[in-house]
Amino acid sequence: MNAVTPAVLEDIARRGRPAPGDFVRVQLDTGGIAAGATEVFDCLRETVAAQQLGLPVCRVGSHGRAWADPVVEIRAAGLAPVLYGQVTAELVPELLTAHVRERRLLDDHVIATGPRGTTIPAPVAHLLVRDTGPGEGKTQFFQFSFAEELKRRGLADRVQVVRALDLGIYDEGVVVQLLPGGITYTNVLAPDVARIIERSVQQQQVLDDLLWKLPELQVRIVLRNCGEIDPEELGDYVERVEGYQALHRVLALTPEQVIAEMKVSGLRGRGGAGFPTWMKWDFTRKQPPGQRYIICNGDEGDPGAFMDRSVLESDPHSVLEGMMIAGYAIGATQGYLYIRAEYPKAVERVERALQQARAAGLLGKNILGRGFDFDAKIRLGAGAFVCGEETALIASIEGRRGSPSPRPPYPSVRGLWGRPTAINNVETLAGVPAIILRGGAWYAGYGTATTRGTKVFAVTGKVKQAQLVEVPMGTTLRQIVFDICGGVSEDREIKAVQTGGPSGGVIPDQHLDTPVAYETLQALGSIMGSGGMIVMDKTDSMVDVAKFFLKFCVDESCGKCAPCRIGGYQMLQVLDRISRGRGAAEDIVTLRRICLAMQKGSLCGLGQTAPNPVLSTLRYFDDEYRAYIEGGPSYARKMARTAAGGVGEPAPVVVTPVAVPSP
Amino acid sequence: MNAPLQPPAAAPVPPPEAWKQDEAALLTMLEEIERKHGYIPHQIGDEISRLLEVKLERLKRIQGKLEGGVRRDVQAHVARWRGEEGNLIMILHAIQNQYGYVPRDVAMELSRELGVRLARIYEVITFYHYFKLQPPGKHNITVCNGTACYLKGAAGLLNELRSQLGVGEGQTTPDREFHVEVVRCIGCCGMSPAVVCDGKTHGRVKPISIAGLIAGVRAVAAAKEAKP
Repeated sequence: MNAVTPAVLEDIARRGRPAPGDFVRVQLDTGGIAAGATEVFDCLRETVAAQQLGLPVCRVGSHGRAWADPVVEIRAAGLAPVLYGQVTAELVPELLTAHVRERRLLDDHVIATGPRGTTIPAPVAHLLVRDTGPGEGKTQFFQFSFAEELKRRGLADRVQVVRALDLGIYDEGVVVQLLPGGITYTNVLAPDVARIIERSVQQQQVLDDLLWKLPELQVRIVLRNCGEIDPEELGDYVERVEGYQALHRVLALTPEQVIAEMKVSGLRGRGGAGFPTWMKWDFTRKQPPGQRYIICNGDEGDPGAFMDRSVLESDPHSVLEGMMIAGYAIGATQGYLYIRAEYPKAVERVERALQQARAAGLLGKNILGRGFDFDAKIRLGAGAFVCGEETALIASIEGRRGSPSPRPPYPSVRGLWGRPTAINNVETLAGVPAIILRGGAWYAGYGTATTRGTKVFAVTGKVKQAQLVEVPMGTTLRQIVFDICGGVSEDREIKAVQTGGPSGGVIPDQHLDTPVAYETLQALGSIMGSGGMIVMDKTDSMVDVAKFFLKFCVDESCGKCAPCRIGGYQMLQVLDRISRGRGAAEDIVTLRRICLAMQKGSLCGLGQTAPNPVLSTLRYFDDEYRAYIEGGPSYARKMARTAAGGVGEPAPVVVTPVAVPSP
Repeated sequence: MNAPLQPPAAAPVPPPEAWKQDEAALLTMLEEIERKHGYIPHQIGDEISRLLEVKLERLKRIQGKLEGGVRRDVQAHVARWRGEEGNLIMILHAIQNQYGYVPRDVAMELSRELGVRLARIYEVITFYHYFKLQPPGKHNITVCNGTACYLKGAAGLLNELRSQLGVGEGQTTPDREFHVEVVRCIGCCGMSPAVVCDGKTHGRVKPISIAGLIAGVRAVAAAKEAKP
């Protein structure tokens, strides 16, 4: 891309977003590539060229629908964009022929994404059908009924009935969506078939009794560009999604005005602690003049969370732009992006983004002719969970082992190389350009009184549709798990949701109606954390889960302070004893005492929060601990057998014992 | 490095008594020879190792010096990052990318090149999980043990690998063919449990499909060997 100058940006802003043409997009992120998206991409390119369809085949990041990978989006033949999930290379020729040449959608792959309308603007061309009830067995029957009814009325060649992969609505019986328009009917019964065809398809009237009126739960602010742009092309970002417009606007303001705007937005750090972003910037700004640094924390060590990876891979320029705005606000001229080495694709794309920004004059001296100097570098993490902690992260960037140091002094006073430093999470920074463009008040309009805006969660574990969701704060856990992600896999009963990774806690079934915010989760003994949300069903043993997280924290403890180093290890011994059925009633008392000591005495967040999984399972699932203690070894063996089997896998495997030195 | 290709035929080797017991003296002498010739002629190196029944490690180090390869690599990595503060971790990443692990002689050379004590380099290497001190196997099988994978049966996969290959977490088969590793999270939670075989990620793996994965890796290797 050529140099990006203020004139170019102003010109693009004047023209507005270009009308999108036809395209085929393949979502190529780590998850997609692992599922075979590269093969699909290559095959699409070849087939489009061979059949001379004249469609551009583009690479984009991921929408976040990890369960449906590889995902392909097609906009062609005058149809609205259609998302296809679980596409394979073998499917590609059929997919292209059907969609592009014959305007037919492919059964069992369509994911409904567009807004659900309330009117029917044009003659209906496609009917998407899916049975979302338990068992999901009636889809085919209803497809047949609709097709027969259409045939009877002589509409069979005008309207196609398609079995959908996902309609975004769950447990509402048979769901039918009419395209174009996106009118959605739920709980459709057999007698309704004729009615829908007659009234809605033939006369374009809306059937109010069946209409699904609930608004969309997700609001995409951080993920706004994910899956929409080519993450490896600066041009795409600048021309199509108002890229670097926020920076352009910011450079005309004073840093104080930028911080004030952030204050209005109420944005709080999305890395977990929830410290107000504007305050962090303000503290750093008020330090004595001199070199300052801005660090982007992309060390997503929290197992089960992949939102930072996804944002870095799908929209690296948003993070960079957010970082530059932060740099301008605090007066930093140098930024570091600290990214896990385990995310090679993210590192590669960010590196590329930096090169392109540098070539376009967006990094370096006198950016956009406003006298603002800024440059950014990548530093790789090396697999240490504790490096997510600010002071440890700084030590790691300085090339030392990542041991945390006592705070205060906070990094905003004495950070990297002893200079004032602001550290922001990937998600926080990715949201900044949107806040600047639309205004802080707009952002503050989402969320609850104390926690504004939206949060991205990675919902995984025993859930039907493991994916990234972005919801306004205040959405309940039940809505996230059941209404957005489709509920527990294999329709089992939910037991708990674990939030916050190894530093968080479990939230049991009875508390799932809690609205999500920093304070409410804390009151339940968990934390927001970086946004990992792991769903557990009735077969999961909570003692085992507590042991898993504690083992993680013990492995990751840097060993600097005693409460964490010794306390964690001793707790693990006790938990291991309990989980083998050799525990005693006093063990629970001991556990609680060690937990308290670790919380009060540890130096950094890792040690202070490491007891959370144990404490929260003790709080809500005390009976499970007692069952292990009272049931003895035979009960423990029985539980181990069910746990090791995994989901419906009756494999006779022995659980590996935790390494315990012999006495 | 632009030294004459042919060293003087009768390269003077100092009497062994002076440096046989004293490593510091040996190093000084080696450095002297290097300064003189620009590198250490292999005849001299051979002579020294013959005279001195050196331990394997020291021999390796001397040989490393002789070949100059290690030194050149390290110098290249250091040159790339010279002048940057806190470059140690990035250099270690580069070294690990090249060798697959951080060999001891390379770490020693790096210590000399950067002027950082070896203990500090090892402090960093052993602190971070990503850096390895053992050479990896020919084929690497990585089992993700993130929370999502754990809940969906990563332990079962590890057990299956153990029974198929006879090695557990962090171990390499005796023939150095397979190395089994467990990682925290590869971020593919949507398709858990995940296993990475030689860089290719497989999702929704079941214990029953492990044998197929191993056979697949072997087949690819066999095909590669058959080609040339």
